[in-house]
Amino acid sequence: MTNFLHRFGRLFQRKNQESVPFKILFADFKKSLELNNQILDLIAATNDKLSGDYIFDERFIQTKCRKLSDLVRELIVTINHLTQQKYPELYNTFHQIEEDIEAVLQGKILYSVRDYILDYDSISRKVVDAVGGKNAHIAEIGSNLDLRIPPGFAITTAAFSAFRQENSFENLISETTKQWQEKKITVKEAARKIQQEIMNSTLPEKLERGIMEAAERLVKKQEETSPRFAVRSSALGEDDVKSFAGQFDTCLNIPLEKLAESYKKVVASLYNPEAMEYRLLQDFRPNEIMMAVACQLMIPAKTSGVMYTYDPVHPETETIIINSAWGLGEPIVSGKIPTDHFVIERQPPHQIHEVRIVHKTERMMLQGDKGINMEPVAETHSVESSLKEQQLTELAEIGLQLEKYFKKPQDIEFAVDQQDNIVVLQSRQLGLQQEMAPRACDLTRLVEKYPIILRGKGHAAMGGIAAGPAWLLNSDGDLGDFPMGAILVARHASPQLARVIHKAGGFITDIGSTTGHLATVLREFRVPAIFNMEDATSVLKTGQEITIDTECLTIYAGIVKELNYYSFHEEAIEEMYEYRLLRRVLKKIEPLNLLDPKDENFTPRGCRTYHDLTRFIHEKAVETIINLNFYHAHNRESQAGQLVWDYPLDLILIDVGGGIKGESGQGIRPEQISSVPMHALLRGMSYPGIWDMSPSKVDFSSFMSSLTRTSATNNNPEEVGRNLAVVSAEYTNINFRLGYHFTVIDTYISDNMLDNHIYFRFSGGVTDSTRRSRRVRLLDEILSFYDFLCEIHGDTVVARLKRMNKRSMLHRLFLLGLLVGFTRQLDVKMINDAKITIFFEQIKKIMEENNE
Amino acid sequence: MSNGQTSILILDDEPIVSKRLKPSLEKKGYEVETFTKGADALQRVRERHFDIVVTDLKMEGVDGMQFLSEVKEKYPDTEVIVITGFATMATAKESFNKGVFDFLAKPFKLGEIAEVIAKAEAKIKKG
Repeated sequence: MTNFLHRFGRLFQRKNQESVPFKILFADFKKSLELNNQILDLIAATNDKLSGDYIFDERFIQTKCRKLSDLVRELIVTINHLTQQKYPELYNTFHQIEEDIEAVLQGKILYSVRDYILDYDSISRKVVDAVGGKNAHIAEIGSNLDLRIPPGFAITTAAFSAFRQENSFENLISETTKQWQEKKITVKEAARKIQQEIMNSTLPEKLERGIMEAAERLVKKQEETSPRFAVRSSALGEDDVKSFAGQFDTCLNIPLEKLAESYKKVVASLYNPEAMEYRLLQDFRPNEIMMAVACQLMIPAKTSGVMYTYDPVHPETETIIINSAWGLGEPIVSGKIPTDHFVIERQPPHQIHEVRIVHKTERMMLQGDKGINMEPVAETHSVESSLKEQQLTELAEIGLQLEKYFKKPQDIEFAVDQQDNIVVLQSRQLGLQQEMAPRACDLTRLVEKYPIILRGKGHAAMGGIAAGPAWLLNSDGDLGDFPMGAILVARHASPQLARVIHKAGGFITDIGSTTGHLATVLREFRVPAIFNMEDATSVLKTGQEITIDTECLTIYAGIVKELNYYSFHEEAIEEMYEYRLLRRVLKKIEPLNLLDPKDENFTPRGCRTYHDLTRFIHEKAVETIINLNFYHAHNRESQAGQLVWDYPLDLILIDVGGGIKGESGQGIRPEQISSVPMHALLRGMSYPGIWDMSPSKVDFSSFMSSLTRTSATNNNPEEVGRNLAVVSAEYTNINFRLGYHFTVIDTYISDNMLDNHIYFRFSGGVTDSTRRSRRVRLLDEILSFYDFLCEIHGDTVVARLKRMNKRSMLHRLFLLGLLVGFTRQLDVKMINDAKITIFFEQIKKIMEENNE
Repeated sequence: MSNGQTSILILDDEPIVSKRLKPSLEKKGYEVETFTKGADALQRVRERHFDIVVTDLKMEGVDGMQFLSEVKEKYPDTEVIVITGFATMATAKESFNKGVFDFLAKPFKLGEIAEVIAKAEAKIKKG
């Protein structure tokens, strides 16, 4: 495009030597488009690194973020230049976001939420930095699996930070920690000093009120008459394999009025001596020391226990281990009382291998207002099994379900309530004993005995090992009976498949883009996936047991236990510091919150990410060019007018040199257009036969009107007319905003083949994501067929073509014309995958018939 | 290449590079040693021969170019693969002049480096 600016300058000189202003404005406009494209491409490419397929370091993240900041800053300078400083507030928003990004790069954790309290039904792993692993896991189990959890809410890290700031014990902590690390005081002394300070501090008033209100809300919802709470830690990193198990305090049987006090106590336990020492050993950055807290209704447990979905010392025995005893779980978890021990088979029907019933003389019980207490167990009861046989089976099923959901062996705490319901209290990754892991270097030999079904084809959309039965998606696309833990095998990586991601062990597709929507969701849920395996659907059968290794792009027949055990020990890539950092920093960059320009938040202040800023500026750039040249027409050197057509396309044409013949007083008629590329595009857009191919008859004018009106209720052209074409004899730049679709075409076509180019960007849409993705696929297939170089990011298609002769270029612009008119309709008509082929064939036919 | 296993030394001051590469290459049957400090790597190279050396060029306190020169001087048959985030034509040219087998720009895919290593291994075996 830079090339073009140069040529464009010459065009102006030819037309009118004095016409500097529009030339400069248009150069700004072009620059803003160029920057817009660069920014969006860079954002998509950076997200792609989360797949685990790349090796990147902290420096890479810094470099990319700073590059993005530079581009966005330049974009803001450009829009302000274009609009004569109409949007100075953009700088403020930008600086705020840039500052946040820099802070994240320095290792700070920004609160993805500002709320002090989040109820469990509003929590997902997306807010794990705000609520901690324990809260995030238990809340997700409650909402995504059909399992019982204790009703509760999270007190966030934002609350923690407010508490810390209001009492400014920051200094005391860093001072005391320093003294300890310099061995001037012992860890116990340091811990006592910090904890005393925390216990003596007062909670911010807003936080205390928030806790009380959330608790009262919970009590009301659960219709609890004498509510008692459990207040537990949910520190950042606590639920990882590097586990802080048992290092923090838990407060049990807490009445409403003592919640605030218990909160302080749990927070103070962040500075228990063991935890302080542990953090020193691990790769914990100071800013990652954060405590969120879980506040749950107390489960008056009859029996409590712990379940491991594998034997951590001998995973090869394929057994589940359960330890349980009467009463509450605390003395069981901390090993203070003996427990019954059960070993059962992982495979259904979960045959019992071993039962060891111990003499259980004590149990921990709730004592009403008096807290908790150890009490003796009646003699008859003490040698009875604390779990019934049927409960063991039920627990095994729960364990496997959790393991499949979280993709790793699990360490689960559970309680059996007074009604004999099993309640999951906590689930986290189980650390298996290191020595038992197969060594990586032995793996090649170990897995040799398994037949390979497919190897070497495709791309990893998310890294990892997955083993389980294959499940083929048939043509009707019904995902209804997709079984838990199966590996989904599908022809296309269409976003509708995201529905079963929480159940799937892995994903394989014949075709699909690793930068698409589905890949993003797979990464979020950490489901190992290989896309583009080409013929997986014809080779694999439903029910067949397979193992996929994304790193070697291999599918083995059978369950490759060696790989499975190996992967259990592997440090999860996504838990490495660099990945945490990239995820955090992308939160400030990637999400698009500004969708509707009519929304009251569609302002510089409403922008929350770089994507928002980019989107806002593009909208305003197009608007400015139209306003200046059409509604206010202060540029005498350019001619502007609305296209008068048989179809109500609200298109403003601006001629910057030889693109329009005659006067534009009454609007511009199609025959006045002498711009060669624009002419070809319009010919495609108004192609008469194209509408006949739709299965049902479409009324063209009403269709076109829905196509071009950004809002049915708003017919004032000054507000809806944001379709713009800047044309000259050899050049056309189009910016269409049709509903929620965005189309940008930039093209220059002359007799000199080397100068010729077409750039096409298409994104957005109003229908569901499945139909949108079919549309993206259709566009990709057609455009690639006609020699365009295509890139797909989510539902955006970018296609480029260069250096073809004039005739071929114009033929392809005609194609773009067809597609622009056509794709909106596709959203509605793309009811199944077969339609893609049908439409493709019809388009090809039209293209052949019109190859002049 | 004693006991038939191809040996690889990896030097990169960013720990994540070794952390990711080591298990991945071991899984493919290679013998792998990793270093984040140039001095340690140099010492190890003086002690023993590696079939393949993978090194970054620009690291805190280490000159990757110097390291690879020393490796090539001592063991001309060792194949050196350069990985770097700051590739310029000049550095690429200089490394090739020093007999570097291949040059990979960061960030790279696991598959890409595996492919380059396999090629280097094939060359050694043919050699």
